[in-house]
Amino acid sequence: MNWLSGMLIGLQEIREHKFRSFLTMLGVILGVASLLAMFALTAGIAASWRNTMEQLGGLERIGINDKQVSLEFADLAALSPGRTLADAEALRAIPHLVSHVAPEMQAGATLSATDGATVSARITGTWPDNFTVSQHAMAAGRFLTDLDLQRGARVVVLGDAKVAELWPDEYGTDADFLGRTITINGRPFAVAGVLTRYEREQDRLRREAEARGDKAPARFAMGGRGPGGGRRDMFSWKNESVIVPLSTLYHEFRSGQADTPPMAMAKLDYLNFRVRDLTRFDETLGEVEKLLRGTRRGVDDYDFDTREDWFERMETSLRSTQLSGALIAGISLLVGGIGIANIMLASISQRVRELGVRLAVGARRRDVFLQILAESTAIGIIGGLLGLGAGVLLLDLLGRLAPLESPPVIEPSAVLISVGFASAVGVLSGLYPAWRASRLDPIAALRYE
Amino acid sequence: MTSSPDVPAVALHDVRKIYGTGPDPVAALDGVSLRIDPGEFVAITGTSGSGKSTLMHLVGCLDTPTSGRVTVAGEDVSTAGSDRLARLRNRSIGFVFQAFNLLPRLDVQRNIELPLVYAGVPASERRRRAAQAAAQVNLTDRLTHRPSQLSGGQCQRVAVARALVNDPALILADEPTGNLDSANGADVLRLLATLHAAGRTIVLVTHDPAVAARAARVVELSDGRVRKDAAT
Repeated sequence: MNWLSGMLIGLQEIREHKFRSFLTMLGVILGVASLLAMFALTAGIAASWRNTMEQLGGLERIGINDKQVSLEFADLAALSPGRTLADAEALRAIPHLVSHVAPEMQAGATLSATDGATVSARITGTWPDNFTVSQHAMAAGRFLTDLDLQRGARVVVLGDAKVAELWPDEYGTDADFLGRTITINGRPFAVAGVLTRYEREQDRLRREAEARGDKAPARFAMGGRGPGGGRRDMFSWKNESVIVPLSTLYHEFRSGQADTPPMAMAKLDYLNFRVRDLTRFDETLGEVEKLLRGTRRGVDDYDFDTREDWFERMETSLRSTQLSGALIAGISLLVGGIGIANIMLASISQRVRELGVRLAVGARRRDVFLQILAESTAIGIIGGLLGLGAGVLLLDLLGRLAPLESPPVIEPSAVLISVGFASAVGVLSGLYPAWRASRLDPIAALRYE
Repeated sequence: MTSSPDVPAVALHDVRKIYGTGPDPVAALDGVSLRIDPGEFVAITGTSGSGKSTLMHLVGCLDTPTSGRVTVAGEDVSTAGSDRLARLRNRSIGFVFQAFNLLPRLDVQRNIELPLVYAGVPASERRRRAAQAAAQVNLTDRLTHRPSQLSGGQCQRVAVARALVNDPALILADEPTGNLDSANGADVLRLLATLHAAGRTIVLVTHDPAVAARAARVVELSDGRVRKDAAT
């Protein structure tokens, strides 16, 4: 008599009493279903956050911000030139730590397409590295090049939303926008590239489904979405990009104004860079700090804007969500376990005679113990597997009834943990009934009516 | 099946079994000595309360005596723990009960195999030996039936096959005809007689003198003592 044959006896017992076994398993089924659903929902939220983070530049992206100089050094503050191209050039000196550098200058401007509309926009002058630092992707054409920068070329890269505004009639058709000329504050620029439409994964899937003519599942109204527009979300700043070479922006739109400093001394609106190796994150920050101390002449007027805090906050809130979900699932599994124990005890008292016969023909106490334990374990495992199915159904139902901001993700580890817990519940809830059964007196058991 | 003749199949020496403690204990067996040799066919009779059930439990290794010595197939049962008792029941005793005591959800084949499962015999060997035992009780064509599909007489034959299957030192039949009509009862007794003729040791517990008369030797108990022990 071993574990396996005990399990087989248990399975037969379950087969003989399908309905009763199902009721016994119900608690475990619901427990596992809620556990799985909880895991899948939080994993979905985490995945979509991570996806969003990546599209926004990921952990590698670090911004250098201005900081108020503390009072005791206030008289020194004027020594520092502030955030300038000198900083950006300095960062380029440590390519083994900083892989990309993207200084940005911005200006408000009016855009006008000769064959389209006139709109106002913020235009950004930057370096080609911005492509990587901001995690851009091209829908068509190219991004800025070093040559554009050297020449101060009048080329522009447009975000998806801006294309929609400039050419509302042609947007969404097969029209080719590359090479068209738009004017920015009256000066002609050639469209060199069009950026891809940035959106969350699930929005993209839904939009594609709608485009194919599938009927999208009923959802609560989420606000109107015009062509290329959409609600303001964390991607809108990327979608509304109007990007020109930094040198072009400076020469065309900044210089010539009164008191304009030379380009190298002109203040940047943003300065972001990308860490080459995340495992050397702190080392990189240290090196950058050293460089900045030089360019800022020792004045502590800068600050790093990293996404670490953001990630930590995200992890913390995920963990607390998981904890409360796990608590509910845990209670449900506990109730399920009590249910199994209860039914096993009842089933033992129904089977006293059978156990008596088994003892009479040579079953040892531990064989009987094992048999009952194997049966409750089998109930736990089967309940766990059914619970997985129920969990998937539950997630599907949730997706139909309420809009899920992030589609749930069922990870293999969640499946293993859920079924593992169910099995453990099966084992634990069988211990006491199995012990009771193994203490049966064979003589009394054989006489039992 | 049987060991050498000088090792008794069952031996009891001054066995006492006292139930209950305190001021008013009941002696179910009060100094019983008995020896059953391999190959014997012994009936144990007595009225209800005579102690024959208690005697059967001791011989069947389901219980241990309060004092005295019980040996089954040469092994001392008196002080054995529950695991050793279980092993003795498994290897040395084949039970046939009044109520058949087959497992209703197992087919005939699996019922007969049951002692072999606990003896750790591999499945293919179990099947072979179960088929052999079924052949001895003439049930080869019923192996896939469930007990509920069989008559009482057939059920008792399955029980006999189950008792035989692990080749025990003795077959212990407790009122095997009690739940059967006279024709089926006679059938089972004939079967036991055949097994005895083939060299099996059989102990038959019954209150019915007519049934007891089928045995070669009758031990009569009364008030926990052996009152008569004689060949028929």
